[in-house]
Amino acid sequence: MRWPFEWRDPSALDLLTGASINCLLMESDAEFGAVIARARQEGINVVQAGTPTAGVTVVEGEWPGVKLTESGALDHAAAGPTGVPWIDSNGWKVRLASALNPGSQVWVIAAPRKPRLSAESYVMAVADAAAHGGRWIISLDSQLAEGIAARRPEALERWKKLTGAAGYFAARKDWSGYVPEAVIGIISDFTGRNEFMSHEILNLVARTNQQYRVIVKTAFSGSSLDGLRAVLYTDDEAPEPGLRKRILKFVEAGGMLITGPKWGDLPGAPVDGGQHPRYSLRACGKGRLAVARPDFEDPYIVANDSIVLISHRYELLRFWNGGAVGSYFAMAPDRKRGVVQMLFYAFILGDNRPTVRVAGQYKTARLWTFDQPTPRNLEMEIQEDAVELHLPPVRGYAAAELEV
Amino acid sequence: MHGNQTRREWLLRTTSIATGACLAGSRLSGAAAAPTAPVAVARCRGYDAELLPVLSRMFDQLGGLGRIVKGKTVAIKINLTGMPSYRVGYLPLGDTHYTNPQVIAATVHLMGKAGARRIRLLESPWSTADSVEEYLLQADWEPRDILSAAPNVEFENTNWLGSGKKYSRLVVPFGGYIFPAFDLNHSYEDCDVFVSLAKMKEHATAGITLSMKNCFGITPATIYGNGAGIDEPSDVPKGGRILIHMGYRQPSKSAPSEKDPASPRQDGYRVPRVVVDLVSARPIDLAIVEGVKTITGGEGPWIRGVAPANPGIIAAGTNPVTIDAVCMALMGYDPLADRGKPPFETCDSTLRLAEDAGIGTRDLSRIEVVGTPVKEAVFDFAAIRRKRRL
Repeated sequence: MRWPFEWRDPSALDLLTGASINCLLMESDAEFGAVIARARQEGINVVQAGTPTAGVTVVEGEWPGVKLTESGALDHAAAGPTGVPWIDSNGWKVRLASALNPGSQVWVIAAPRKPRLSAESYVMAVADAAAHGGRWIISLDSQLAEGIAARRPEALERWKKLTGAAGYFAARKDWSGYVPEAVIGIISDFTGRNEFMSHEILNLVARTNQQYRVIVKTAFSGSSLDGLRAVLYTDDEAPEPGLRKRILKFVEAGGMLITGPKWGDLPGAPVDGGQHPRYSLRACGKGRLAVARPDFEDPYIVANDSIVLISHRYELLRFWNGGAVGSYFAMAPDRKRGVVQMLFYAFILGDNRPTVRVAGQYKTARLWTFDQPTPRNLEMEIQEDAVELHLPPVRGYAAAELEV
Repeated sequence: MHGNQTRREWLLRTTSIATGACLAGSRLSGAAAAPTAPVAVARCRGYDAELLPVLSRMFDQLGGLGRIVKGKTVAIKINLTGMPSYRVGYLPLGDTHYTNPQVIAATVHLMGKAGARRIRLLESPWSTADSVEEYLLQADWEPRDILSAAPNVEFENTNWLGSGKKYSRLVVPFGGYIFPAFDLNHSYEDCDVFVSLAKMKEHATAGITLSMKNCFGITPATIYGNGAGIDEPSDVPKGGRILIHMGYRQPSKSAPSEKDPASPRQDGYRVPRVVVDLVSARPIDLAIVEGVKTITGGEGPWIRGVAPANPGIIAAGTNPVTIDAVCMALMGYDPLADRGKPPFETCDSTLRLAEDAGIGTRDLSRIEVVGTPVKEAVFDFAAIRRKRRL
């Protein structure tokens, strides 16, 4: 937690009791000496803000939620090219940082931003990072910090919800050991001139609710492509021969490569009737190649094209009435349990009843939300190769825990 | 505003004057001479085993499908309005606001059996150039079930150029209320038989959506949509068709523009007229309206207050006006109702405009109903509407 400037009295540490906060970031040692001393006495780690912490990767994030227009009015969302609201989420940044720094914890710095300063927005900041395996460095706007310090009931209620959400994730640490399910792998070095395109594609693939795997070129291994249906190679330059060979082998075995035109001559033959306004399609062994013509320009289009090139048939999660929803689907290492974490960024669902279709066969499904200490059994419609879960109206966050 | 009139009164008056002026002494004043054709009506409680024999019997009552489709290329416009990611509650889209996939498959099957040479299923899915098959998958449908229902079945997304080399220009024979002609996906020209396979619903803008209103969606959004190109069609469709609804701009300049850009910019005036222009430019040879399961109160889940309903009705016929008139009666409405009367409280009657254009009669006394009599099959949408508005 970034210790608020307004909390100078060490008694403020009482607020942390049972709050799953184990590290404080201080702006200035000098002004908070008494707080620091007591915190250390109580076994809480204290770090100067900006100082590297061992085993932790810190990423600069966004204040998560539906992006609002310049007016800032809460009922005016900024929209993408087809009217879908833009969402600021740090999930993909957490996933990328984890892939670039294996074994490291990922903390997200994202300061609260007006006008979205409701209790739900704070809870969403916690959930958006934690659902993807990271942690949001709790930061309070000054009004809330003052209100909490003054023990004002409304402010304390918001604090309770915020710390309750943090506690919820702290109690489910096993979920962070679950392995992400994926249909598509995004391959890049994610740096230099490839940074913009690869990062934006990750951001926007996540927005489509395609389940993806981050594959860092330098960490590519024999298992990097296991279980995937497609890989999206985003970099400007062609891969080195060894990587090229392994990706083409994946295609020959039935996978799909989606890439720009820099790969030069490619094996296989054009697909009969394979018309696409932006891609040349080639059959190669049991798989297919989709080569953009011209090169990737708009990551929004690339992300959306990728779903259809692979086919909606293979998507692992499909939502109805989800609104501005984000998701993260992971399975326990023994594959006997899975969890679908869902983030409803728009909050206001009215009497909308979301449904999520989860690919695979499951015996039971239970719904976890912040407002209920015990899970609810979910109505489940069993299909041939999937289940449909009928969710009650949900605000903000929910997780469906599935048993195989 | 305009003396003592409210804007609403002024619009209503302007509308009726405009309509009257357009029709007075013209070839459009032909209600009495409008053609008629029989309409088959049947009860059908569900989409399972009962459906195929019901449809088969209805087509027989109309003289048999063979005489309409044998050896022909058949284009079927289905109704997949709105994004597939929105449902009414937890219900499948085919049970609420999309044409049900079982009805589509059964119709395709019977047409194949009747000798159709090729069957092309057409729709302009919301804001995308992706294939209709991909759209259906998002609705949780299996497109292969439909593609395998008969030989030579294919889908085409008509919201853009699609597999054609150029757009087809289809002229409105009576001159048109709003547009004199349309540039459409080639599939609407490259067919011998055109079928409207619609869902029985009310509609927020047009009062009802039946076989004629289903054809509003044949316009490509690349030319008539919110993101249409200014000079030429855009490469891919973006957004809906507010352009046609409100007339805030003209279609791409490559396509015929409106006849009178000074005509009312009111969707209740424009949409019914554009629908009639479209069904005149691309005549409907066979209309099927499916109301086995549907919704009341509007055309899709985005309309507040829509509710699922099980009318258990199917109607079919070869004249879209006569079938829409019978469907209105089946819904508890008077097909002779004009603007101001339910369900046309805020819009003109598409049926009236179509009748005036000489497409068909809406006068039930001139329409032969075969199969189940209307009074035995009525599902009273009108009563539900009255209750909702109390």
